Amino acid sequence: MLRRFRLEEPESVAEAAELLGRFGESAKVYAGGTELLLAMKEGLVQYERLINVKKLTGLSDVTSADGAFVIGALCTHHQLENSPVLKDKLPALTKLEQNVANVRVRQVGTIGGNLCFAEPHADPGTLLIALGAKMIAEKASSKREIAAEDFFVDAYETALQADEVLTKIHIPVPVPNARSAYLKFGYLERPSVGVAVAFNLNGGVSGVKIAVGCAGPAPRRVAEAEALLEGKSKDEALRHVAEAGASAGRAAQAISDLHGSQEYKEHIVGVLLKRAFQSALS
Amino acid sequence: MQFQKEVEILAPREKVWEFIWDVDRFIACVPGCKEAKTIDPGKRYAATMVEKVGPFKVEFPTTIEVLEREELTRIKAQATGADNKIGSRMKLDLDVHLREDGDKTILGFVAGVDILGKLAALGHGIIKRKADQVLDEFAQAVKTKLEGDG
Amino acid sequence: MAKAMIKHSDTQWIPVSFTLNGRLQEIEVEPHELLLDVVRDQLGLTGAKLSCDVEVCGACTLLVDGRPVSACTTLAFEVRGRSVLTIEGLAQDGKLHPLQEAFIEHGGFQCGFCTPGMILAAKALLDENPNPSEAELKHFMHGNICRCTGYKKIIESIMAAAKKMRAKA
Repeated sequence: MLRRFRLEEPESVAEAAELLGRFGESAKVYAGGTELLLAMKEGLVQYERLINVKKLTGLSDVTSADGAFVIGALCTHHQLENSPVLKDKLPALTKLEQNVANVRVRQVGTIGGNLCFAEPHADPGTLLIALGAKMIAEKASSKREIAAEDFFVDAYETALQADEVLTKIHIPVPVPNARSAYLKFGYLERPSVGVAVAFNLNGGVSGVKIAVGCAGPAPRRVAEAEALLEGKSKDEALRHVAEAGASAGRAAQAISDLHGSQEYKEHIVGVLLKRAFQSALS
Repeated sequence: MQFQKEVEILAPREKVWEFIWDVDRFIACVPGCKEAKTIDPGKRYAATMVEKVGPFKVEFPTTIEVLEREELTRIKAQATGADNKIGSRMKLDLDVHLREDGDKTILGFVAGVDILGKLAALGHGIIKRKADQVLDEFAQAVKTKLEGDG
Repeated sequence: MAKAMIKHSDTQWIPVSFTLNGRLQEIEVEPHELLLDVVRDQLGLTGAKLSCDVEVCGACTLLVDGRPVSACTTLAFEVRGRSVLTIEGLAQDGKLHPLQEAFIEHGGFQCGFCTPGMILAAKALLDENPNPSEAELKHFMHGNICRCTGYKKIIESIMAAAKKMRAKA
């Protein structure tokens, strides 16, 4: 049984932001509810009001504009997994979405909700960082862009202000020789380690982006590991990928817990980076 | 969960020792700690601990018992608290050491933290990280307060 | 657990008009009520089970607009304007659905606790993909857990039903 709350159903982003500003911590944005309702059922959080954002229009599509894919925050994982637009140009993302949780969570869970709840053991954030995505945060009369690599501040904490609503995610359309891959590992319900890699392949590898998630409190980009592969030829990069993996492992801020010891997680980061890199190359 | 912290303070040992027993100034150094009260001077204190991890907030009315005391050297204390709203209990075993190093004082402490109940559902990793953060901030705040006040 | 309907003047009631197993239902729910509780306690359809309560096991699976959801983690008002299918609504005029027949024929259940959810999820799978490979079947059904059968018979049942359904189509 959940504790009683009032349901608010704003019809515009401005209205939603105004409600958030007015009610502060006693209100929470509610979309698919796949994370929020669990926390509420556990009694870990309590709200006087839930702000149902599913009546907001224009936030449930995948389109492209100005060289970027624009993903509405209300798109469900199921929608993204099956998006023909994304399947063609960003197969790493559709594969990731296809493997989020289970079929029921994918059916109602939204990408926006996933990113904003910022549960450490989640997938999309990690790949979005490697793809150079940008989150669009809106208030009543303002809009701003937050780079994915700056979006995740800590466990369950994003860079969003209290009255901001995440509306869109922009992903630059990959150039023809762009490659990317995301691999995850886990044996519990949620993933324990996730690694994303993206780069351009033209003789050598350039524009390398590496991100590690799930092992630490928030997904993060690992510049130290990127530097070890940047500008190298394909073969040279493959020779350095183990070193890059070790560097990424250390940067993962892993902590020993039920998902594994710190050393184990760091090791798995290395393994996944190597495999993701090889997968992206092939 | 076990933690070990050490901080170097540019202040004489006596001053640091005095500071620890100045409940209001001392409690002000613990992030999230408020409403400090002396129940039995030197023996028993009360405070409220408020901590937040993202949307998860806990409020523990806490009782602190001083178990052992070695003048200018050592304090052993235990703090216990319960948040009935969330259904969680907290226990902190604290061993504080002071030693002189020239004109500096080394303040070290070993902390054993146990969180029981619903909050543990957040995951050991999250809680450990938060506890570590709180203890780090605390050590730094003590240092800053003591060095700043001259 | 019967609910005493004490209406206070400041209680928020949400009218929910929806199709349940093919028939129109009009109820009123408070925002915090969960779909599983409403279906089991108020509507008396106890096929869907409360099991893990964290949308992991699938024993509470219901089909909303033909798609599987965890009723334990769905607010009841969310089905307004939609169609809901429970296991009780699968058989038509006393005749079992091919999936139900296949589960019986191929031993796809033992204690039966996961079965309503299992069969509804399988229906959603076959409606989306009438000829799934075993890999596709396993991926779709990954979120439905069974403690008894070891899954082999479940897979066989679903594949057999799929074959029968394709032949009829």
